[in-house]
Amino acid sequence: MSEPAFVRFWGTRGSIPTPGHKTRRFGGNTSCVEIRVGDLELVCDGGTGLRELGLDLLQRGRQKIEAHFFFSHMHWDHIQGFPFFVPAYGPDSELFVYETSAGDDRVQKLLHGQMRSEYFPVEFGDLGARITARHFEQDVVSLGSIRVRCFEQRHPGRSFAYSFELGGKKIVYATDSELDLLLENREQSLADRDVLRRLPDALVGFVEGADLLIADGQYTDDEYPKKVGWGHARANTVADLAHQAGVKQCAVFHHDPMHSDELVDQKIQGATARLERLGAKTLLFGAREGLELKF
Amino acid sequence: MAGDVAIVAGLPTSRRLPTLEQVRGPGAPRRFGLALAETVVGRGTQANVTIDSALLSRRHVVFRRNGPEVTLSDLESANGVYVNGVKAHSAVLHEGDTIQIGDVVFVLHEAPA
Repeated sequence: MSEPAFVRFWGTRGSIPTPGHKTRRFGGNTSCVEIRVGDLELVCDGGTGLRELGLDLLQRGRQKIEAHFFFSHMHWDHIQGFPFFVPAYGPDSELFVYETSAGDDRVQKLLHGQMRSEYFPVEFGDLGARITARHFEQDVVSLGSIRVRCFEQRHPGRSFAYSFELGGKKIVYATDSELDLLLENREQSLADRDVLRRLPDALVGFVEGADLLIADGQYTDDEYPKKVGWGHARANTVADLAHQAGVKQCAVFHHDPMHSDELVDQKIQGATARLERLGAKTLLFGAREGLELKF
Repeated sequence: MAGDVAIVAGLPTSRRLPTLEQVRGPGAPRRFGLALAETVVGRGTQANVTIDSALLSRRHVVFRRNGPEVTLSDLESANGVYVNGVKAHSAVLHEGDTIQIGDVVFVLHEAPA
């Protein structure tokens, strides 16, 4: 029997941190999700939630912290936590950052860049940890028993989804993707919100059968028309993707910074009702900080 | 209030504590304060809160208090722990969250400010 995978949400907010009483339940930290399999520590994105993860890792009492970072892309809300990731300052830490193709160095460059002295008092080169770049080969990389695949998404400046497969289990992290620009029946779906929004086969295949899909569903249907081209999806479109791909559980992620907990609840209720109308078996919920799932 | 039970003995119930309101399952309705740093719920006598249900593991779930924050962790139970309908290994809890273990359902109430 394979080892269980634990998935924990450390930051679920999109765009900018939103602390305060209105966002307590779903959380105000920006994107960061931990996937833990035995001693393997995988981190999806380094938004402000990464700071809390770093502190928690130190409390777990390991002699040496080794972590593997998969960045969806390098917009602020996905990298701002990295300079505050305390294990990066420890000489016993070893961090791996993954670039999505051979020869690419965008992740390393931008992690360096955001720590230039104009932005931050400690330079990247002064971090104590050993930080090494690794590259996907033809969209695949293996980590022990985990097979990781990447998939390019539609987002300003490019973004990537990642699929983590191990022992028959599949977890997909797919944030910052404007699914609505990919729809095969886009015009029809904008005119008639109830019609099934058909996603391309390649994307559906990438997500297919996932035990957990973590997907950007920032907007309601009403909000989206004013935000076309900003790189984010309607929660209802995520529901349709989950249904078409036969996803078991779908965590709607990257909550809009303008959304209070009550508004996120409404967004999730709407998407859940849509799945029920479709006769889908997917369980959909709003990703929230501090929730840990086991697979 | 009728149905209130100070299950965790030896601690004053008047303190401003987060509480679990049991709304379904054997013994419901009742409410108890999370007075201990860790409160284990299960069907076994080793649990701090014992509920006579065959669907519960002996030590099913632990609720932890850390200042005003309440978290829970599944203690490798047979039937799992569901927070607002999602099967959770652990979770940070908030006002109004529903927690289901077997046929037992709780609603968490945070400590009054």
